[in-house]
Amino acid sequence: MALEIDRSIIGSEFDRTQFEPVKQEEILEYSDVSGETGTTDATGRLIAPPGFVVRLRGKRFMPANLPKFGPNAFDAGKDIEFGAPICEGDALIGVSTVHDIYEKTGRSGSMWFLVLRTVLTNQRDEQVAVIDQKMMFR
Amino acid sequence: MILDLHTHSEASEDSRAPVETYLKWLVRKRDLLPIDGLVLTEHRQWNPAVDYRALEDQYGILILRGAEVETDYGHVLVYGVNEDITRRFDFTNVRLAARELIPEVARMGGIALPCHPGRPTVGLCEHYEKHGPLDGVVAVEALNGGSRRGENERVEHLIERYGYHAFGGSDSHLVSFIGICATEFDRDIHTIDELVQALNQGGYRPVDFRDRLKKEA
Repeated sequence: MALEIDRSIIGSEFDRTQFEPVKQEEILEYSDVSGETGTTDATGRLIAPPGFVVRLRGKRFMPANLPKFGPNAFDAGKDIEFGAPICEGDALIGVSTVHDIYEKTGRSGSMWFLVLRTVLTNQRDEQVAVIDQKMMFR
Repeated sequence: MILDLHTHSEASEDSRAPVETYLKWLVRKRDLLPIDGLVLTEHRQWNPAVDYRALEDQYGILILRGAEVETDYGHVLVYGVNEDITRRFDFTNVRLAARELIPEVARMGGIALPCHPGRPTVGLCEHYEKHGPLDGVVAVEALNGGSRRGENERVEHLIERYGYHAFGGSDSHLVSFIGICATEFDRDIHTIDELVQALNQGGYRPVDFRDRLKKEA
């Protein structure tokens, strides 16, 4: 039977996190464990590898008033659009919203997808990354 | 003329393939994949503002557009989408009534053709077994590049029994899948209206290039 989902939640902000300024040790630690090495800018500041953004976690992962999609859920992947580089000392802000909710059908039946978008900006208001986290429910 | 009638670009939420990269791939693989054009059939959507004419001119490959929608009889490719059709049917609805969609699209100048009919849950065969046949089906996608073992074979029985025309498409979501299955037409096609006309009239067949690609690998 078709599940009626209230889509009014789309576009709503559910988290806004001001992160501590990025430390050189954090970039080095990320590079060490990931194998992605950073570089330096003209002033000698360390620039993080782009994948560094996945290290950042907001205070809340999902909205509190999430519709009930079904009993089962799993991570359906992540899309990241990279923007300005992240340098040591940058103070990043992450704003998370419900970007989309949609239903689709496949070999195994009907499923719902929730897309949570986090936009990261730095202290100069430059967009550092747009991260779309998808969750699948059935 | 050979067209890949079922493709998805990054406009579909489950594809990462840019249209231009498809074209570059087809130009590069011209000897193995003699594809003259492709039809972008994005999932559950129609964007009237998209215009690929500059890319067509640059790469010399025809680009037409349709949509893949979801119905109570499985997934259906719609060609010749126009404003009448998008006003009548909400393409985001995954439970469109196929008994309404197929004749109504035809009445409004398009054609709606079931794709991957042998696929469980979202293919025509399973729904025919449960709910009986649909009126107005002209052709089915007999060869789908994304089908699993046995799914394309299941369609042969459907075509024999109901006399449908057969066509093929790659159902590509990744660049290297474009053109692996396609449709060979006896006539030249330059526009979506000519495609709709040709699909209605017959004179086409599915073609499979997967063996060629395997040999090259």
